[in-house]
Amino acid sequence: MFRTLTIFEFKLHLRNFFTLFFALGFPVMMLLLFGAMYGNEPSSLTGDKGTVDLMLPAYTCMIVAVTGLMSLPLAIANYREQKILKRFMATPIQPLQILVSQVVVNSVTTAAGIAFLLIVAQLVYRVQFFGNVLTTLMAFLLVVISIFSLGLVIAGVTPNARAATSLAFIIYFPMLFLSGASIPLYIMPKGMVVVSNFLPLTYGVRLLSGVWLGGHLLDYGLELAVLVGITLLCVGLSTRFFKWE
Amino acid sequence: MDVIQVSGLSKSYGALQAVKNVSFNVAEGSVFGLLGPNGAGKTTTMECMIGLKNRSAGNITVLGLDPEKHRHQLFSDVGVQLQETVYQSAAKVFELCQLFTSMYEEPLDYKSLLERFDLGSKAKSSIGSLSGGQRQKLAIVLALIANPRILFLDELTTGLDPGARREIWIYIEQLQREGRTVIMTTHYMEEASLLCDEICLINRGEIVAQGTVDEVIAQAQIDLVITFETDSEVTPLLQNLPHIRHMEQHDSFVTIYTCSEETLTNLILKLSAAAISYRKIKITYPELEEAFLKLVNPATKGAVS
Repeated sequence: MFRTLTIFEFKLHLRNFFTLFFALGFPVMMLLLFGAMYGNEPSSLTGDKGTVDLMLPAYTCMIVAVTGLMSLPLAIANYREQKILKRFMATPIQPLQILVSQVVVNSVTTAAGIAFLLIVAQLVYRVQFFGNVLTTLMAFLLVVISIFSLGLVIAGVTPNARAATSLAFIIYFPMLFLSGASIPLYIMPKGMVVVSNFLPLTYGVRLLSGVWLGGHLLDYGLELAVLVGITLLCVGLSTRFFKWE
Repeated sequence: MDVIQVSGLSKSYGALQAVKNVSFNVAEGSVFGLLGPNGAGKTTTMECMIGLKNRSAGNITVLGLDPEKHRHQLFSDVGVQLQETVYQSAAKVFELCQLFTSMYEEPLDYKSLLERFDLGSKAKSSIGSLSGGQRQKLAIVLALIANPRILFLDELTTGLDPGARREIWIYIEQLQREGRTVIMTTHYMEEASLLCDEICLINRGEIVAQGTVDEVIAQAQIDLVITFETDSEVTPLLQNLPHIRHMEQHDSFVTIYTCSEETLTNLILKLSAAAISYRKIKITYPELEEAFLKLVNPATKGAVS
């Protein structure tokens, strides 16, 4: 039952142009755009790392943002508005399984988006990876969990699909542009950097970039604390306020 | 045997009492109609019976189980079509059918169900490309995959064109012939008269009438109307016949409002005895729709007004 449901949801997901474009196409476009502007020549200023090397971990966060803050909450909000959640409640399926299958589908899409991004980056720019694979995966998992739990809050508290879309856009776009996920923060004016400190994804970008480029997890205590805090808060909020109908 | 017993059901949303002290039983194999104007509490009543809403007071038994406590045990015996469900438009018909098939231990074969509901050729179409009638037929197919003993159909035919509605009626009759019990809500009195063995008329959360269609019409106490044409002035002659409430004659056209069918016999005897010729005599019985209007809004006088 759960397997059939997840495959079903995955097929629907693949028919959604918006998600596919922003999860697979857009990050690669950003990569190629910035790569064309700055190239990936190692620079002594950045410790023998190229610009693309530096930006790549941030771009992976861009993918997490679209699956976690747009695709996941909008799918769930639509299901509630179209009374699909309610219809499933009148079957042997547990409504929670629907949420879990959405999380699975969006996780797979995230992984696919990142794989595609890394393949293109490797083929075009011969990027280098400086970190420890296990540490980076752990950091990445934390980013995914915290951003997805934020998405579940968006899905849970909005009264209808239109409100969910508005809220998702309001949260997604500032994070996309001001967290360092798409545009490096060091080229931003000071005010924007201040704003970025209030965006959860900023901490994800910092943590992931840090370990990706060879840092240790424990060097990023603040980032870890913020992401874990967001996760706990969001899981609490969505458990308390999630509306099935 | 009754498969559903509802007694003293009440449901409040905050200060709003949506359903007040509703009681009825549904016999196995019958088609039971919940009727009433918009917002009367039909859907709330139905959703309490399925266990989708928790009742505020009263008792409900479905196949011997309390739907609130044993919702999961009931699911394979109960098929549901909800009024507002809009299935994923990008999904294909067969994909949705496969999903529902995977939920049940002993599902019916969806391919033959699609054939039976004339959707066989639509199996590979997306939900978004289906017509309103096809979507509602698919909703029945999805409810039937569980092979349920009881089907709940909430405003299944609302918004369909007359042809599609008649098609659905035939399917509902078939479901009853298979021995399934059907509980339906509808706005169409013609539909209720044709399909329902028993109806329950709800207004503002309360039952205003229940019984067979004929019993409910009788409860509304609406006059029968007898009309005929004659060349004579008949009002003085007929005025004293029993049961007549009101009579009018305009030129050759006579209209009599009466509370009894006997008036017809008495009328013909009286006219024959007086050797008055008459033509085009016709008796009109009240329909469920007039009874509905009168019972739901007593200010409306049904056929008389």
